[in-house]
Amino acid sequence: MGDKPIWEQIGSSFIQHYYQLFDNDRTQLGAIYIDASCLTWEGQQFQGKAAIVEKLSSLPFQKIQHSITSQDHQPTPDSCILSMVVGQLKADEDPIMGFHQMFLLKNINDAWVCTNDMFRLALHNFG
Amino acid sequence: MYSTAKNFRTYRTEEYKGGGNTSRGRVNYKSYFHENCGEENVYYKNNGYKSRLSQFQEDDGNTAMSDIQKDLHPRHNLSTTDDNNRKVARDNKDLIHITEWRDGNHQMRNMNKNEPGCKDRTFPMTKNKGPMPKYRTPSKREIEENGQNNIYGNWFKITIPYGRKYTKTWLLNSIQSKCSVHFTPVDFHYVRSQAHFFVKNSTTAFALKNVNYKIHDENNHQVRLFVKESAAPSSEQNKLKPEEIEQLKLAMKKRFDVSQKSLNLQSFRFDQDLMSHDIDMILNRRNCMSATLTVIEENFPELLSLNLCSNKLYQLDGLADIIPKAPQIKILNLSNNELKSLRQLDKIREMKLEELWLQGNPLYNNFSNYSTYMSAILDYFPKLLCLDGKDVTHSMDVETGASEILKPSKKNHGVSEMLKNLVLQFLEQYYSIYDCGDRSRLLDAYHDEACFSLTIPCNPKELVPLSLYKYSKSNRNMKNCKDHVLLTQLLKHTKRDVVDFLRVLPKTQHDLSSFMVDICILTEKMLCFSVNGRFKEVEATCPVILRAFTRIFIVIPASNSRLCIVNDTLTVSNACPKEIQSDVSIPARAPSSIPVPTISQEQQAMVQAFSTQSGMKFNWSLKCLEQNDWNYAVAGQNFTLLKAEGKIPKEAFQQIS
Repeated sequence: MGDKPIWEQIGSSFIQHYYQLFDNDRTQLGAIYIDASCLTWEGQQFQGKAAIVEKLSSLPFQKIQHSITSQDHQPTPDSCILSMVVGQLKADEDPIMGFHQMFLLKNINDAWVCTNDMFRLALHNFG
Repeated sequence: MYSTAKNFRTYRTEEYKGGGNTSRGRVNYKSYFHENCGEENVYYKNNGYKSRLSQFQEDDGNTAMSDIQKDLHPRHNLSTTDDNNRKVARDNKDLIHITEWRDGNHQMRNMNKNEPGCKDRTFPMTKNKGPMPKYRTPSKREIEENGQNNIYGNWFKITIPYGRKYTKTWLLNSIQSKCSVHFTPVDFHYVRSQAHFFVKNSTTAFALKNVNYKIHDENNHQVRLFVKESAAPSSEQNKLKPEEIEQLKLAMKKRFDVSQKSLNLQSFRFDQDLMSHDIDMILNRRNCMSATLTVIEENFPELLSLNLCSNKLYQLDGLADIIPKAPQIKILNLSNNELKSLRQLDKIREMKLEELWLQGNPLYNNFSNYSTYMSAILDYFPKLLCLDGKDVTHSMDVETGASEILKPSKKNHGVSEMLKNLVLQFLEQYYSIYDCGDRSRLLDAYHDEACFSLTIPCNPKELVPLSLYKYSKSNRNMKNCKDHVLLTQLLKHTKRDVVDFLRVLPKTQHDLSSFMVDICILTEKMLCFSVNGRFKEVEATCPVILRAFTRIFIVIPASNSRLCIVNDTLTVSNACPKEIQSDVSIPARAPSSIPVPTISQEQQAMVQAFSTQSGMKFNWSLKCLEQNDWNYAVAGQNFTLLKAEGKIPKEAFQQIS
């Protein structure tokens, strides 16, 4: 059977953790970012842990639910992990929308943090 | 005994249409050869071959006709057949050639004893004790006995039945590794699916015989090997005499340009010096080619450029031997020869060519257009820069200096215009190749160690939608795929695997105007960008299907200012026919498909205020303000006007909860 490759293990558990945090209390998300992290949210760029948390916290919805329809993880040449997530989200009472998100994870001091995060709502499909 | 043919005729064939000997009775059978021979030995094509052979004493289905003929007519110097199975006697005087046509209608022609000029001979009874059963290798005792009696010298022919599958280097190295005796293969060549070479003495031959059953290839199949005594290979048989070699050397020295390190052997046969000394440098013949290569090895090992134009070359087995002798050759001119198929290039694949000339060869007609021709050639010589005098366009050249651009400036963490253009250019090129049909050109775009994976999103309890079945075999969606081993296999690694897989995916037409691209700089040497967009599947026999995709590329700068993909992940799903308007954020799409920089704080505040006042949703307010040049008052007026006219749709307004 063999073990899951490490990037898949780490990728999957990160994804799970991230969306759990996001759905429950997104102000706690700061823990997974570092000061060098960069978030691209629908084309807008935010640099650094503080700015990112601020942006995420200030998103105009109270309630949010994510449902993941696919995830994929690849190792990069510099031993980081590229994770791609496609899913659906429901914010407050808005209709369900599809989204795509990409994370780049890096191992810093034995902890995996997110150095890059790109989020886009799906325009052409429903996730 | 010779029940096959009633008429015996002799023919002489010339490898050159014009020039050369003009004796009576010469028939130009060149056309037969051209028709029948690709690069295959005609003899093997004929199914009746074995039965015919049984008429002869030396019954060994493995042997080429020529071997038999040689054995039967020891006095005549008949060269062994090369791929095209031409036999040309070196000796001008009495030329008896026996040829066989693959066409079932023709029959084996044998020597006509009564033909004038034909020496009287009897077909000698076999020296062996009876017909050799196919593939039975002689025992050591037999080899030695026959070796001593063998009047042709101790030559043995080694045959590897499916040798065509393997490269020459791998095959010879594998054999050598299992062989107790060091051997020097002579005249290595392929005939149909077999590989052949010769070795000199019986000890070696016996040692090689023991290698049979010992070699396994990468699929763990046995590589069989058969040893049979034979007459000397053609390059040995018709070895040039020392004085001829001396003349050859002088002639070649005259044609060698020291400053360019180039050797011009164009139309070598008609070299004045050689002709005046009566030396026929017919480079198709193994002996001539071998002698030429020896002269090169000894006198011009630093050779950079070799011109073999107009030498009627139809096979490159002989030329393949040049690789260890002149390893630095970068320029090769094979134009105006008789090469019929690119498989000939397979034999010289290991040459690190930068410039190649192939025009004027029949193989050119195998291609429908220049670009398929060029990509096929690039397959053999990936480092090629110039083909037939034209610069080779490597598919993924992006002109701007990628490495320069990737340095993130400290002030502006955002993405510069140059970088956006770079990425756009890359995507345009990438998708133009991706959509054009021949995705193998994408090999240039990928790093050797690139990774690629494909995923299909679907809801947890659902199966992959039927319409996406073409992709589902390679679906790496980890939600669904519990089998970890399979997952690993589905991650394509190395550019060969990646491109091979991409080629299998359905044909597409990407809608570049639908692309939404996000870029982020990972490091100085790495760039990541994601593309969301649409494409159509345009397989020939299927209706056009609209798909949505997300693709993430991680690229690094490569040589030639190119970008080189190291990671590539693709998600495909069914597209909805129209775009979905999002209310959560601002769809910022410029015609160039790169998101426009978002509005400033001040503007944001304006929109907020307008939204509150007008009751319209955020993005509608934004649109309104934009259309009115951010003039709040004017926008307000226009809004009121339109609202009164009822021209603003209901959905523009906030729901009043």
